[in-house]
Amino acid sequence: MKILNLIKKYGTLIGFFGIIIFFTINLPSTFLTAKNFINISQQISMLAVVAFTMTVVMVMNDFDLSVGSMASLAGIVAAVLFSMGYPIWIGILAALFVGIIGGLFNGFLVSIIGILPFVATLGTLTMFSGFAFLISGGRTIFGRDIPSEFSSFARSGIEISSLDLKIPFLSILALLILFIVWFILEQTTYGRRLYAIGGNPEASFLAGIKVKQLRLSAFALTGLGAAIAGLMYSSRVASSNPTQGSGLMLEAIAAVFLGMTMSEEGEPRVLYTLLGVLILGVLDNGLTQMNVDSYIREVLVGFIVILAVAFSSITKKRN
Amino acid sequence: MKSCIKFISFTLLFLFVFVSKAWAEKVTVITPYLAQPGTQMYVEGFKNEASKKGWDLNIIDTKGDVAEVISRIEDAVNQKVDGIVINVDPSQIAAGLEVAAAANIPVVGMDSGADPLLVTNVTSNGYAMAAETSVYVANRIEGKGNVVMFVFDAFPPVQIRGVIADAVFGNFPDINVMDRITPDVQDGGIADSRAKMEALLAANPEAGSIAAVWAAWDQPAIGAMQAIEAAGRNNEGIVIVGIDANPQARDAISQGGNFEASIAQDFVGIGSATANAIGRAMSGEEIKSKVIYVPTVLITSANVGD
Repeated sequence: MKILNLIKKYGTLIGFFGIIIFFTINLPSTFLTAKNFINISQQISMLAVVAFTMTVVMVMNDFDLSVGSMASLAGIVAAVLFSMGYPIWIGILAALFVGIIGGLFNGFLVSIIGILPFVATLGTLTMFSGFAFLISGGRTIFGRDIPSEFSSFARSGIEISSLDLKIPFLSILALLILFIVWFILEQTTYGRRLYAIGGNPEASFLAGIKVKQLRLSAFALTGLGAAIAGLMYSSRVASSNPTQGSGLMLEAIAAVFLGMTMSEEGEPRVLYTLLGVLILGVLDNGLTQMNVDSYIREVLVGFIVILAVAFSSITKKRN
Repeated sequence: MKSCIKFISFTLLFLFVFVSKAWAEKVTVITPYLAQPGTQMYVEGFKNEASKKGWDLNIIDTKGDVAEVISRIEDAVNQKVDGIVINVDPSQIAAGLEVAAAANIPVVGMDSGADPLLVTNVTSNGYAMAAETSVYVANRIEGKGNVVMFVFDAFPPVQIRGVIADAVFGNFPDINVMDRITPDVQDGGIADSRAKMEALLAANPEAGSIAAVWAAWDQPAIGAMQAIEAAGRNNEGIVIVGIDANPQARDAISQGGNFEASIAQDFVGIGSATANAIGRAMSGEEIKSKVIYVPTVLITSANVGD
């Protein structure tokens, strides 16, 4: 009975280690190496930042579907400013500013106007994407328009010469954001209030929590996270494209859901979101190394998300 | 006894498959554009050649995601593949190309653009394509008459086509380039080219005042053809040529009207030539040329049905 409880509680984590063991057996010399895991940490860094900040709104049972197009828009805003000759810090600040404004607009629609988050952010998804196309003229901005100091950020890191390893700045940045989100959600009154809203918005309101303001600010944080991820993406590919972030949104939501299966109350926790992101990243890396067809990879990833969530909802129902 | 033989033969077969797989050279092809018909043809040509060579091939579609191309290059390097082929602008994936270079794994571009980090890039020769269609026009109008050019100098691969056509027409003293039009391409280029051509036709109403239309790609040629037909001037013998030989252009050429010629890239040929190039690089051969050109084919009513 104890073992059954353990599986119920740690099913996803056990699954994750199962995946790791599977790849380690199949790829004995190339999978379970420090270099490969540093590699994976860099590959998932952008998705991780979006998923961590997405957790902030999902704590309140809200959604933000516009994160992908916000990531594209932020990258485009920075690149257009770079191409006009503005210094790097102005481009970055403007992109982050756009992220906050876009997030506040989402928050305004959801909490002040009262539109369902799904509908409101579906609308802004299209709007932000339209802005990205409008500002860039539909072009990919690359080459000399992108300063080399900006693109070299994604290629550099902290060298550990004794181990012959390099911890990429992208991974470090993602870890930093993980810490900030964890601190905000788990260690502050602000975070606890967001969880209270997620538990019962009306009760929270009656208890004197400023539900509207909190929701507004949470969406701003998610927008800011999307903009940071967009800048990371642009730095990694040394270019900006008006559709570059479109793949991030669904994967970020999938990662949060995968993480939620770990939590007993079924609520999002940012450390569990990290596990969700890791599962997706490890699957991509391992299946590529095993030469599994990229379309089969996609089917498998979707299946595993469904499996994890189904398993957790069945065991919780029984409980 | 029978089952024993069965067992041994199965074991041998398994060993053979396993060992041959283990010995086969591993090649990874990574593209964000596998949904595009052109890319599918490159990949088809590559696959055919790779199966002849007995390679263990992995084709990865990142579905438009350029950053994922970098991630998958990193994975392939980690997996210690023997060669990598990419089909995306190399300047955007320099982070991945540097990782491959550090591991001494050759990377070849399949119509990707040249880059110092690539062994070579296999593509069609844009200069030659423009030379062939502009010479076709000059010969068809017997070296005299007014020619309308549709160009697009903002996009380097198309800009070079215009430069060559300028040189060819400039070499015929009796050919006059009456207009060099850059159409608005927001809607694909057909509609605006048609509008511009209608204006030109209205300004030059006499029959024979326009001898030919040379377009740097097919869409403006199609727009010009529609304008000429709508103005009822399709019997004046205005010669139209395009470049790329897309399905709409081929259809127009097969009708036997004003749209007489376009030029087709050999996408399958680019794929197989890329396989040969990465094969040479994997065997340690030094490939001197940074670009390998695959011949193109002029499409006219004579061969459009082939």
